[in-house]
Amino acid sequence: MGNNINNWSRRSVLKAGVAGAVALSTTSMWSSLRAQTKRIVVRDDGGVYTKAYTEVFYRPFQEATGIEVIGVQANAEPTAQILSMVDAGAYTWDMAKISQPAIRMLTQGQKKYLEPHGLGNDPIVSVMPEHFMSEYGVGTNVYSTVLAYRKDAFEGRQAPTSWKDFYDVEGFPGRRALRRHPFDTIEQALLADGVAIANVYPCDLERAFSALDRIKNDVSVFWTSGAQVEQLLVSGEVDMVPVWVSRAQSARSSNAPVGIVWDQNIWGLDSWAILAGTPNAEACREFIKFTCDPKRQAELTKYFPAGVTHPQAFDFIDPKVAVDCPSYPDHIAKGLPIDAQYWTEKQSAALERYNAWLLS
Amino acid sequence: MSLSTTRTASAPMPVWAKNTLMIAPLLVLLSAFLAYPVGRLLSLSVLGPDGFSLDAYRHLFASSLYVNVLWITFKISLATTVLSVVLGYPVAYLISTAPAKLKSRLVFLVLLSFWTSFLVRAFAWVVILGRNGVANNFLLSLGLIDRPINLLYGTGATLTGMVHAMLPLAVMTMLAVMENIDRSLPRAASTLGARPGTAFWTIYFPLSMPGVAAATIMVFVTAIGFFIVPALLGGRRETMISQLIIDQVQQTLNWELAGSISVLLLVVVLVVFVIYDRIFGFATLTGEDPSSQARRDTLARRAGSAVLAAIGAVSDWLIARLSFKGRRKSVERYPWVLSVFVWTVLILISLPALLMIPISFSSAGLQWPPSGMTLQWYEQMLNTPVWTQALIRSLTVATGAGILSMLIGVPAAFLLARGRIRGKAILLAFLLSPIIAPRVIIALGLFYMFAELKLVGTSIGLIIGHTVVCVPYVVMTMVAVLRNYDVRLDLAAQSLGASPIKTLRHVTFPLLGAGMFSAFLFAFATSFDELTIALFSSGGLNATLPKQFWDEVTLQVSPVIAAVSTFLLVFITLLIFGADRLRQRSLAR
Repeated sequence: MGNNINNWSRRSVLKAGVAGAVALSTTSMWSSLRAQTKRIVVRDDGGVYTKAYTEVFYRPFQEATGIEVIGVQANAEPTAQILSMVDAGAYTWDMAKISQPAIRMLTQGQKKYLEPHGLGNDPIVSVMPEHFMSEYGVGTNVYSTVLAYRKDAFEGRQAPTSWKDFYDVEGFPGRRALRRHPFDTIEQALLADGVAIANVYPCDLERAFSALDRIKNDVSVFWTSGAQVEQLLVSGEVDMVPVWVSRAQSARSSNAPVGIVWDQNIWGLDSWAILAGTPNAEACREFIKFTCDPKRQAELTKYFPAGVTHPQAFDFIDPKVAVDCPSYPDHIAKGLPIDAQYWTEKQSAALERYNAWLLS
Repeated sequence: MSLSTTRTASAPMPVWAKNTLMIAPLLVLLSAFLAYPVGRLLSLSVLGPDGFSLDAYRHLFASSLYVNVLWITFKISLATTVLSVVLGYPVAYLISTAPAKLKSRLVFLVLLSFWTSFLVRAFAWVVILGRNGVANNFLLSLGLIDRPINLLYGTGATLTGMVHAMLPLAVMTMLAVMENIDRSLPRAASTLGARPGTAFWTIYFPLSMPGVAAATIMVFVTAIGFFIVPALLGGRRETMISQLIIDQVQQTLNWELAGSISVLLLVVVLVVFVIYDRIFGFATLTGEDPSSQARRDTLARRAGSAVLAAIGAVSDWLIARLSFKGRRKSVERYPWVLSVFVWTVLILISLPALLMIPISFSSAGLQWPPSGMTLQWYEQMLNTPVWTQALIRSLTVATGAGILSMLIGVPAAFLLARGRIRGKAILLAFLLSPIIAPRVIIALGLFYMFAELKLVGTSIGLIIGHTVVCVPYVVMTMVAVLRNYDVRLDLAAQSLGASPIKTLRHVTFPLLGAGMFSAFLFAFATSFDELTIALFSSGGLNATLPKQFWDEVTLQVSPVIAAVSTFLLVFITLLIFGADRLRQRSLAR
């Protein structure tokens, strides 16, 4: 994958160092589980994530405990799969890396589809910042939506620096794309319309849609998947687009001249969550603890600019790499945290309205 | 075959028992692995948390969204159907008249695109039609345009992608029927003085109608379930109804609403069926006694004949204009316009798959034009065992699903085409329901069922799931083939003392060979390209090829997929031509 290939040579050099660092921190404390569980299956995001997690989390954990960890990719919001696995008692996965809205979706009803991790008082896990923790999830990765643009399209003129610029069709002419989903799009519209970060939630949908109306006819593409939007940037199909920062970075590493606006980034949290009723819950807990290690998290950045969640992780990350991480303190400070609660309640209505707006 | 238990000498099995045996496997399959699991999910639409409720349906009509999207879906599907059948007909015609060797090559070209995942094909269209893509580059270099034009993200691109995906289905369905048309009939017409155009339109075309009818309905019901292609190639208004169902299933977990949208979709398709029946009659699909048909000399029929005769006269005039080197007397020798047209279509069909070849060696990734020369994508492919594992699994599952579909589908097709049974229309609707029902609903329903049966992640589960969606293609193709099959040949064999089994082996099957082969190939290809059921039921541990492509593509449009596609293309080509060689050698012996 893009990032990975670029880091190929650097990676092999660092490998020896990684192995050493990991060996130090994995002593006998993990071996108590060896007898009980042989294998856990973890849903992750695939691609570079699976690769990095395998090197940094999965394989070292197996070496430490004898428990094999298998990373399995699924689509972005695998709530339907988790729901059906738990309902059917067929634990194809034991745990999953999922977003905050997904955690809420799975735990809002009578029946809880996730297992409380119960690690709040664990000495290793309790150092995690409070805003990265919840009853059913331990935050492990911050993702972020930013405004990305093609530098070559803005040669000799001012490039956009805010959502307001993106919505200013006259001041910043150029081809635009939007996500075919109200997530993030509504927030962008409000920020562009002058709403302060602190007042975005609960979203004023009327205001958001009237802002969207202003640029509707100037949006050339409505994208649906991450791969698609990355292709839009790499091929120069559009000049500016709101995009997951990992996609913009990946486009950049395949040599596309991409600029990234971190101001007003919209960030969310992926957490480890355990499927309710899995027989391997204990092993999953041990695995979660294993990943809450600052040094280990820092190793992820050798593969991609990971949104590390441990506060001390940045002590071990090259400052040049750190500014690309979505969880870099400055980005978090300037960003808008996604309100999972709001979206759990309003997603249906907003999605319906957005789809109708697209057709009108 | 169910007939194996009967012997002519002993008391023959009663007709009803024979009929039951022929259709039972199909009914059991569809009841157990379609009606039951899907019904269970759809019943959610009327079962709220507090028992029976119509809230989901009230919601459905409270906003105009769902009806609007349904209308858009309908229009796109209809346009796709018309274009696929119109473009596919000449292709099928030319293939059916080609000599055996050329024929197998042409069929290979038609199916070529199937061996690369539909996802890769959709992305290939993005590369072809993009602002800096193949088409714009080409037009710019010719000086026809001075600025890139917008080809992507609109109705045109959507239809291109969808017609591209549906053409093989249309061609193969029509081809299966054309193969069985008696060539001597148009020739007889020629000897009697009909010019080629007239002979074609008044003799050949009416005989090929069952194929056209089957292709129309198959393409339409398949197209109506599409969503990924329109989402990748379409503009803001190209929303398909399946997309809304997927959203409700996966995003908002509102399965009540998902169920009610699915029911709405099913109702609409049933209405289309009824209209279709009124206009063409299901008889065109399943066939009816030719003698009773001939007697129905209605006004519509006569008007139809007049129209065809007129078209024939016009085309004769055109043919006379277009072929400069003297008149061609025989319909077997088509005008060069047809050849050019067919080859253009075939090249367009193959284009996305062939585009992967230069890209797989380019160091510029998915950029156009390719630059540099590298083997790094192939290295990456070979460095991980997942692709070979996925290929083996897909081949296993597709072979299993293909064979099972034939075993279940062929007897049912015999009954539908020849048996005098009541309620054929209902049977046909039930039979087609695996294609009509939104795939994601089937996948979800099957997942629950497989979980109970401990079949999640097994090849058996995938084979069963794929058979459910492949069997309609087999039955429809076989029914269309049998429609043109002269039953009197069987009767002749039997009156000469052949047992039913011997008749099947020595008369029926050899004559139906080509049709059966294309039915099997189609089932195989459908399974080989099936994604949704695999997404849910493979559990992610043992991926099939489309699932592996999906994983790769959702994360990054990496040129590795171009390398895999090229590798697959070569692999399948060798496989098919190898099999062909073996077959010819065994025939020669």
